[in-house]
This record gives sequence, C-alpha cells and structure tokens, in this order.
Amino acid sequence: MSTDGVAIRAVGLRRAFADVQALAGIDVQVRRGEIYGLVGPDGAGKTTTIRILAGLVDADAGDVSVLGHRPDDGAVREQVGLMPQRYALYGDLSVGENLDFFRQLYCLPWREASPRIERLLELTRLKRFVDRRADDLSGGMYKKLALACALLHQPAVLLLDEPTNGVDPVSRRELWELLGTFVGQGMAVLVSTPYMDEAERCHRVGLLFEGRMLAEGAPGRLVRELDHPVYVVEGSDRARVTRALTGVAGVRAMSPAGARVRLVVTPDGTPEVARALATVDATLRPVRADFEDVFLARVGADDAAGRAA
Amino acid sequence: MSETLQRLVGQLRAVVVKEIRQTTQDRRMIFLLTVAPFLQLLLFGFAIDLDVDQVPTAVVDLDHTPESRETIAGMLADGTLAHVATPPSVPDAERLLEDGTVAVVLVLPEGYGRDLARGVPTQAQVLVDGTDPTRANVAGGAASGYLGLEGLRLAQAQIAARLPEGRTLPSVVVRPRLFYNPTQSTPIYMVPGIAGMLLLIITTIVVSMGLAREREMGTLEAVRVTPLPTPVLMVGKIAPFVVVGLFDVTLAITAGAWIFDVPIRGSLLLFYGITALYLLTTVGVGLFVSTVSQTQQQAFLGGFIFVLPAMLLSGTMTPIHAMPAWMQPLTALNPLRFYMEAVRAILLKGATFTEVRVQAAALLVYGLAIMALATSRFRKRVS
Repeated sequence: MSTDGVAIRAVGLRRAFADVQALAGIDVQVRRGEIYGLVGPDGAGKTTTIRILAGLVDADAGDVSVLGHRPDDGAVREQVGLMPQRYALYGDLSVGENLDFFRQLYCLPWREASPRIERLLELTRLKRFVDRRADDLSGGMYKKLALACALLHQPAVLLLDEPTNGVDPVSRRELWELLGTFVGQGMAVLVSTPYMDEAERCHRVGLLFEGRMLAEGAPGRLVRELDHPVYVVEGSDRARVTRALTGVAGVRAMSPAGARVRLVVTPDGTPEVARALATVDATLRPVRADFEDVFLARVGADDAAGRAA
Repeated sequence: MSETLQRLVGQLRAVVVKEIRQTTQDRRMIFLLTVAPFLQLLLFGFAIDLDVDQVPTAVVDLDHTPESRETIAGMLADGTLAHVATPPSVPDAERLLEDGTVAVVLVLPEGYGRDLARGVPTQAQVLVDGTDPTRANVAGGAASGYLGLEGLRLAQAQIAARLPEGRTLPSVVVRPRLFYNPTQSTPIYMVPGIAGMLLLIITTIVVSMGLAREREMGTLEAVRVTPLPTPVLMVGKIAPFVVVGLFDVTLAITAGAWIFDVPIRGSLLLFYGITALYLLTTVGVGLFVSTVSQTQQQAFLGGFIFVLPAMLLSGTMTPIHAMPAWMQPLTALNPLRFYMEAVRAILLKGATFTEVRVQAAALLVYGLAIMALATSRFRKRVS
C-alpha cells in the first residue's frame, strides 16, 4: 500500500470492445477513507472501469494499481470487495448460505467471521430473512445482501457498480448510510451511479461521458465553479418555450422541471436566450445550480466542442 | 497440513457443499440424477429386445397332404415363426402382409406332396415383409434354412436307399456353442452399454450446464474476484457429479445383475478404474462445451452434439462391423466405444487388465487430451 493514502490509481486507461471505444484514456485516483463517485449515463464506461479495477478485464493501455499491486494479483483479491451491477449471488441458496459460502472462499475462520456476519445482518436489516432464498428477496434486500457479501472480508477497497439501480428510495438511503459507516473506518470506495443526486453523497466525483472524464472534483466545488447560469422559464407553457428556444445557441441544456422548463445557458448566452423568450412572453428566473446542471453543462459543452471540431 | 493446503481444502469443501446444496434443493434434479437413470435402465433392459422370434406368419397350404403339413410343422417348430393366420389363397395372404397382420407368408403349392413323393424338384414360396431388415433377415433365413436342410435330407434319404448295406453318406453337422451370453439375451449385451451412456449424459451435460449456469447468472464473476483459485472452482463443481455418475453406474450394474442376470465376471476394481479413465473424457468434454457456451441452453445442446453421435457410433446399439466401411475407422475417435468394449469384456468375459490395456490406453490419451484442452480454454475464458 502506497504511503500517500492512494488506494486506487489508474492512469490513461483505454479499452475498446470490437469497434466501440469504451474508455478513451481516463485517470482515476481514490484515497483511503474516500467515496469516489463515477457518474455518467449508461454506456459512459463506468462498468468497464470497475471491471478493470477488479481485475476482471484487462485494459488495452494505461497503468492500474490497486493497493500498489496489479488488480489481478492474488494478494489484492483478499483486500478488494466487488458488488457487480448484475446478479452475483446464488439465488437458490439462502441469505445465510450465501454469506457462509463467501466466508469460506475468503478462508475466514467461523469464530472470526461470525460476529462480523451478525453485525452485517443487523446493519443491512437482513437478520430476519437469513433463511430466505436470495431469489425471493426484494431488489433492495438483494443488493444489501450482495453488499454484505462484498464486505465480509473487511476489504480495504470496495468497488460498487450501480449499487442502487432498481432499489427503492428507502433502501437507497440505507445503502448510502451503510457506505458512510465503512468509509469512516478507512475503506476506499469507488461507486458508479447514473443518478446525479447520488453524486452529491460522494467526497469526489468523476463525470464520465463516452469513455472520457469530463470533470472531476468534489461535487460541491464543481457546482460552485459552474460558469453556466441556470434558470427556470416563467410565464409560458412548456411546448411554446421549447419551440421558441429550438436552435438558440445560448441554450446548453433544456430539461423539464414540473410544468416549466429548466435551462442551463452558456456563460454569455443569457441576452440571446432572453430575447428568444420575449417572443412568447416568457422570462428567465435564476435558480441555484445543482449537480445535474453541472453534468448537463459539461456534456453540452463537450457536444458543442465536438460539433465545432 | 500446510496452511496453503488447508486453505485450498476449505475452499474446495465450500464449493462442493454449495453444489450439493443447490442440487439437493431441487427435487426434480435429484430425480433426474438418480431415479431417472434407473428407470431408463429398466426401460432399455426390458424394451430393447433385439432377439427375433414369434414373427407372425400366414400359412397358405394349397396342397393339403401329409407332406405339406409336415413341412409346415417343421418350419414353425423352433419358434422363430408363429402361425397366426391361414388364408385360403395367395392374394388373401398378400393382403395380410400388406396390412401388417403378418410379416411372413409360407406358400406350399398344389402338388407339393406328390412331387416330393415322386422325387422330382418342387417349390415352396416364402414372402417376407422387409421393412424391418433385422426381422426380415432372421425370418427369411429361418424359413429358407429349414427348407434347404429339408431338401438336403430328402435327397440324402433317396441316395442312401440305393447304397449298399453298411455304407453312409458323408455329412458335416454344425453345432454352434455360444460363449459369454449363451442365451443370447439382449439385456446382458445392453446393460453395460446403458451404464456407459448414463455416465456420459450425466457427467457431460450436467458439468457443461453447471458451469454455463454460473456464467449466465453472473456468479462466476463474483467468485472470480475472491481468492478462490480457478482449478479449485472447477474441481469443486465437477466432483459431486462424478460421484453421482459412479453411483448411477453402480446402480446400473447391480440392477443389471439382479434383474437381468448380467454377470460380473471380472474385477470390480478394474471396472471402476476403467470408469475413472472414461470419466476424464466425459467431464473434459463437459468442461470444453461450457467454455464455448454463453447460456445453459447452448451448453445443453452443445453437450448433445457430442453425446448423441458418441452413443450411436459406439457399438452399443449397432455393431461397429455393421456400419458403413468409411465410418468404421471414425469410431476409433469415440471414447465411449473403448469404454464399452472394456466394460463388456470385464463384466461378461472376466477380462483382466492385460486384455483391456488398449482400451485403457485409448481412454487415458483421450481423457488427458480433452482435459488439457478444456482446462486451458476454461482458464482463458475466465481470465
């Protein structure tokens, strides 16, 4: 383990599948005691990144080290926990049997593991369901069991691929609270998510889009440093506003916000947008930017740059 | 025990226990692995009867003489042909042949007895339904064989009557004596074959599907990020089904001995030794199929692509010398053929290792080759 507290270090990661460039050279660094969020839409390259870090896929190019070793090194396996996006448990085995199976794969003696399993079952509130088949669990409970299996050996590095996908809001909150508990003990967590609101729960995030890292940093800082003004359009219906703004260069991103339209506008695009809205008797009301606006602004800017090139 | 070994044993036990738990939870699976093979054995043993006898026969006796009646009685005497109909004319008999009521028609023409008495050539006609070639061969052979011998006997009798006192005619009497399966019972021939087929199906298809299932379900990946070494995973997944396969084989020869009187003349140790060599191949093929399959469905069909020709071209169902000449050398590529030869030799003839060493060597070579191929492919696929 390196002395600077960096648990995961990846530099210049590239990976292609057939003719699709899944990763086009990204850098990721995760420190101990940190939750790093890999945020991006489907197909951005989040799963590929996690699979490379877990040693399941080789990168075409770039350097990867997990706790100072290659990710497929046997020594690292003892220290890394992975919760894959898809099902990864034995559905025909019970909650208890799944936990016991993974306990044995990690060669944990029962005496040592038993209090840990008890605690995980309590934290995940799965204790009551210990005899239930994994297939018969709800989506949220299933994910919590997968998390418990990944945490059983107290890994120094935890990789979570969209852990809250298909999970109800209550279980989602519980999962994040659980993560908070373990990170407090010095674990390095890398979590991918397509949900922008979850990005704000991470210490640092990387915005991944089409295999490239568009921005990286603490979510609060990324929001504060956003140079794009954000507005809600007042005074007209959504359909008319959308028509009036179609093709206006100052609009970086347009999204529905209830009955209204939310706009992310280029740094100097406000006058042009206001003029276009005047034709339909609508006005701009400034609002506080959130992380989703940051993402939309970055993706929009990336698109515009792509078109210009 | 060193710590590393202790770890490996612990991990292996975990995989084996998991596999047993998963299998025993599924009652249908238990049935398919234990009861179904036994039922198949009974079914094959009782239903596959390759002995041809009691072939339904129509007799058209247009002569109505003591000679014609004697000929008919003689032809029916050994039980190959069974007299079921006596149509009045040949067209009536042909109709019975056509609608399947009978498979053989014997026609003795008018004047048959008279010609015999006069000592001039005469004719008897045998019509045979050739749709089932084996039955047609046996029935036709029985009828013409009897008539041929009968003709010879009559001719000899006439010649002998003119010989001086004390002289006899030269003759050769063939007395076949059958070894190893003297009653020519089909089950004695089939049961060792069925044991080999059960083992093939259970180990090849169950192993290939078991591994494909882990891949399909995503559990293979979850297990791969743990410190579990790939070979331990493979062995742990395979071992329970090898045990099930051996159990089924034991069941097959035990039931074979009790129900069908299949002899166990050779050494059981040798039998299980040969079976272990054979398992190398069947498990290896299962493993190989799993490396080229993404889903359980593909693994199942992939397994069958091997299992079916292996069974048909092994000499279990049809003798290898009855196959087309170009195909016969191909059976040398079939491990089941060697297992079948060895097992029949051990069980029925009491063969020793020296007598089955060629088969044992072939099984070993095929087993190691397919295992090496499958293991390297499996490890490559996994990493």
